[in-house]
Amino acid sequence: MGEAIHNVIIGNGSAGNGAAITLRERDPDCRITIITMGSLPFYNRYDLPRVFRGCYDWREILVHPLSYYDDHSITLRRNSRVTDVDARSRTITFAHNEVMHYDRLLVCAGGQGYLPEELSDYRGLMSGFGSFEAAMTTYKALPAGGTLVMLGGDMIGLDLARTLIDTGYRVVLLTNEYTFWPHRIAEDERDGFIQALGHMGIEVVDGVHPVAVEEGEAGKPARRVIFDDGGDVQGDVVMPSYGLVPTAEFMLGSGVDIERGLLVDPMLHTTDKNIWAAGDVCQIWSAEDNAYRFYYGWNNVRLMGEMAARNVTGANEAFEGLEDERLRIDKKGHIASPFWEH
Amino acid sequence: MNKNGTDIQFAVIGSAGDGTIAAGDILKRAMAGLGYKVIAFDIYPAEIRGFGKCISRVRITTEQAYSLKRHSDVLISLDDSYAIPHVGEVRDYGAVIYESSPIARLPEGGHMTAHVKPSQLPYGMQVRSISERVTASARSRNIVVLGYLAGLYGIDPQAFREIIADKFRTKAQAVTVQNTAAFDAGYEVGQSVFKLDDVQLGPPVRKGDSGKVTMMTGNGAVVRGCIDAGLDTFFGYPITPATTILERLAAELPKHGGRVLQTEDEISAIAATIGAGYTGARAATATSGPGLALMTEMLGLGVMGEVPSVVFVSQRGGPSTGMPTKTEQSDLNLAVFGGAGDAQRIVLAPTNVEGCYRTAGKAFEMAEKYQTPVVVLLDLYLSNRYETVIPPDANPFAPNLNKGLDAWRGDGEYPRFADTDDHISPRALPGEEGGMHTVTGLEHNQLGKPSDAPENHLAMNAKRHRKLDGALSHPDFTICKRFGDEGPVDVGILGWGSTFGEILEAMFAAQDEGIRCSAMKVVMLSPLPKERIVAFMDDCGTVLVPELNYEGQFANLISGALGRPVTKLTRSTGAPMQVEEILAEIRRLAQAKAA
Amino acid sequence: MTEPLKPVYLEDKLNEVRGDGHLRYRSSSLPTWCPGCGYFSVAEGVATALNRLKVPLKDAVIVSGIGCASRFPFFMETYGFHTLHGRTLPVATGVKVANDALTVLAVGGDGDAFAIGGGHIPHAARRNADITYMVFDNGIYGLTKGQTSPTSVEGFVTPSTPYESHDRPLNPLMMLLSYGASWVGQAYAGRPHHLTDMIAEAVAHRGFSYLHILSPCVTFDKTEMTYANLDVRVRDLPADHDPSDRLVAMEQATRAEAPALGLFYREERPTLIDGMNDIAARATGKASGKGKKNKK
Repeated sequence: MGEAIHNVIIGNGSAGNGAAITLRERDPDCRITIITMGSLPFYNRYDLPRVFRGCYDWREILVHPLSYYDDHSITLRRNSRVTDVDARSRTITFAHNEVMHYDRLLVCAGGQGYLPEELSDYRGLMSGFGSFEAAMTTYKALPAGGTLVMLGGDMIGLDLARTLIDTGYRVVLLTNEYTFWPHRIAEDERDGFIQALGHMGIEVVDGVHPVAVEEGEAGKPARRVIFDDGGDVQGDVVMPSYGLVPTAEFMLGSGVDIERGLLVDPMLHTTDKNIWAAGDVCQIWSAEDNAYRFYYGWNNVRLMGEMAARNVTGANEAFEGLEDERLRIDKKGHIASPFWEH
Repeated sequence: MNKNGTDIQFAVIGSAGDGTIAAGDILKRAMAGLGYKVIAFDIYPAEIRGFGKCISRVRITTEQAYSLKRHSDVLISLDDSYAIPHVGEVRDYGAVIYESSPIARLPEGGHMTAHVKPSQLPYGMQVRSISERVTASARSRNIVVLGYLAGLYGIDPQAFREIIADKFRTKAQAVTVQNTAAFDAGYEVGQSVFKLDDVQLGPPVRKGDSGKVTMMTGNGAVVRGCIDAGLDTFFGYPITPATTILERLAAELPKHGGRVLQTEDEISAIAATIGAGYTGARAATATSGPGLALMTEMLGLGVMGEVPSVVFVSQRGGPSTGMPTKTEQSDLNLAVFGGAGDAQRIVLAPTNVEGCYRTAGKAFEMAEKYQTPVVVLLDLYLSNRYETVIPPDANPFAPNLNKGLDAWRGDGEYPRFADTDDHISPRALPGEEGGMHTVTGLEHNQLGKPSDAPENHLAMNAKRHRKLDGALSHPDFTICKRFGDEGPVDVGILGWGSTFGEILEAMFAAQDEGIRCSAMKVVMLSPLPKERIVAFMDDCGTVLVPELNYEGQFANLISGALGRPVTKLTRSTGAPMQVEEILAEIRRLAQAKAA
Repeated sequence: MTEPLKPVYLEDKLNEVRGDGHLRYRSSSLPTWCPGCGYFSVAEGVATALNRLKVPLKDAVIVSGIGCASRFPFFMETYGFHTLHGRTLPVATGVKVANDALTVLAVGGDGDAFAIGGGHIPHAARRNADITYMVFDNGIYGLTKGQTSPTSVEGFVTPSTPYESHDRPLNPLMMLLSYGASWVGQAYAGRPHHLTDMIAEAVAHRGFSYLHILSPCVTFDKTEMTYANLDVRVRDLPADHDPSDRLVAMEQATRAEAPALGLFYREERPTLIDGMNDIAARATGKASGKGKKNKK
């Protein structure tokens, strides 16, 4: 064998980076390439609310120093969208028309913000929070003391919401079934948690169904969210927060089984012998539930990445999700989630 | 320098067919128009048009800069296959802009994204599809990317639109319209991009004279100097990197009453120049090292016959045909010493574009006044680089400095080569009554008659050399100048030609580090301003001589003429010297001095 | 063939020309040429021709290269430029371009012209620079004491070709005719009156005129281009020779074994300076529009 094994990781989040360093530790000679659609080196998405606390320089939220990649011989491919994976020829095709060969592929592509079909026409009028750039853009769009209208309110969004409240903004939350995602909330607990949100300073509007987003009239806030009953709410920024869906379109046609995410066995192995998956992109077979299920949260995701990497390099360990996934109410009467602990 | 002001270097890289140089040209002209100071240098392929790598580097500043920087702040790739090897020149947190949707299928590693370092910021853009959408052609990709650049960095788009309109003014109106549309489309995309790099464009420093600021290359400044000095005739033979002097003068000089002829070779070019100089005309030629080698015999005739002529020499990599499209300072020996016998002539070497203008014009004054060939040494890096300059209010060059026949008051046969107080003889010109004489390359007496008498040769040699001493105090001309710390310093740097820009930048950086140092540029290489150089060296603990050649030709000239040791810093890679290399050497010498 | 066969000495002519204006064209320097040298005839011819054409002394410039012939300017009371070996025409071109009011004569020997200086001749000719170029052809290097030259005969034995020269001599007239010289003629130092007439005609011609002058070296060539041999070999061009027909001129030029004397070819066409004046008019927007456009 003349050439080193090429391990390719699609995804530059916790799972992908956990996998990369584990691979490096277990195989000093292999080639490691991390592919990401983003423009920046690895930073923690959970750190993005810091943007509202005066952190405007992406360098401050990087997880590693920039020398990390050279130091560990890890190639980082940014602004690189994978359009195709061919498991038979073990090749990846990029949107920029480059073809790359891999020996082992780890798909850690994570998830992307979900937007219900009926609101997709209004995407251009809504702000995101999925990347540093999106967070900064949102920050710049929000005047001091301004109002953010959040639709849904998943745990990522609620993390931002509490930061916003803390920094003097108004948050109007239009709750629905995605509120508290990915926590699965029992029916009888829900009211208590909603009340806790109010207690935190979030202005909750429950039971409305937004159907449109429009630009505000002159002299009024920049956005108006319209409900199906004709009512509305105004704000400077509208942000959807409906949880994540796996980023797996590029794997369609690869030869790997997909349901919503990539289907993997407890060893995080897909149905192709050279492809593993970890993080929000995959559904893991649970013998207990007799079904494929997602595991969320930074700790789970990181763990999956590391384990997939170990299994790629000869281990045969089964993933067990961390038990503590319960949403709680803390002493101050605020909600608290293990997903916020990182 | 430029700690608070703007200091950005752009590098546009692509193939000759991508409009790379044109993009750089529009960029630098737009930035100069906005009031920034600009230094720019293009690198062309040795091959013919359409193939090969082109690089256009444009440095814009608010404070005066003296050279290009080693690291660019922004790289714009018009062709990844050429730009990828240069991605390392982009500094940390700088930007790399490239085509995000190449049309051809690329092998692994064939795209810019495979090479951008984690510390650099990648900006992919659909350059081709935007160009095709807006102009129905991919040809405006270079303009689209300029629009993107302007949008990304918040540069006034109007400045670009004006330059684009000017650049295409000779073409059909539709060409300007299309390219403006291409620019605007790129601008719109650039504006929408979230800027992640830390390249900051501050406002330009507008001074009272900013309206007059113009941008030109070293060769362009030579041409302007020639015209302002009243050049009558120019004879040239194409040779890189001097060809543009011939081309520009061919277009411009006839408008000012002058005549230009492309000769059959360099020998003919200098011969005709000397023939024209013999009639009293201001005459010049331009060449590079190989051409100068051919011209040296004629320079000897000019010295012996005391005929004015000006030779612009843009040096390139040598010896022989060498590296025609690479820069070097290795023709100093040839310029100063080349030829048979003791044939001292005046040799001048400007250090920047503005200096090219002044030196070009003054060369004609000196050639005429001292009745001698004057060699003006440029190099490719100086000839081709752009700088913003402020043209003088009034023409700074004297029109006629010939010591004419009127200065002869004697009887008998006219002594064309009479020795005088300043050793300059009255010179009659063909067409003048009573001044008939024959100029010859043979040693001759004061009447111009051939003579090989020993006392005659001694006297005439002395006359020919001593008359040149006057040039050391030629009016309104800087023969050498000291910069930096006054008084005793630890490290002194002696420099000449284009490298002096890097020397100054390195010296300023060393001063910032607390090193006492100063630098002297020597513009007149022959006759050498020995007293001034000695006075400078007396102040210096150690003297460094950086130059772009292998042997250290200037260092040898200095230490040979003055009998004093210097430390050489030579480099002959074909590229300009890096500020960091000089700075490192200054540090080393300062530390050695301290130890 | 009625002219005397003997060489012409300066002293012989002194009385004849005293009182006639052309003497003043001669400088006080005594020529360094060997007694009997054909170049005396040329000096005499040039002085007479300039006098005949009433060219003021101060407006004549004689440019030469290096060689016996190139000593010429020293012996003339005009402006002179004794330049470098082979570089006569480029220097003369520079003089003319810088000051087209001057009458520019270029002189040199066969080595200066066709060995070291051969590359310049076609360009002066094609540009039609208004210069009178006189090549004194003695078929030998005289100043360096007798080596073979580009016009030396094949088989010539000289100090540099002790085992005979194997090189074929050039045919200068054929070269100049093909280079596009607008005036091509040939004269012989042994026919001084004809020579003088040819010089006058060449100087009067507007454009590049080439006068080839057969002129024996009495010191180093005792066998080939001698007066005795040339007197027998030279001939006049046919009486019906048409100097506007270049092909006929070339045909005459090919007969090098019997050199023809007279005007081989002449055409009127714009000179180098005419072209430059046209450029100046175009550059300043004053073009008459008569000039040729570039073909695309």
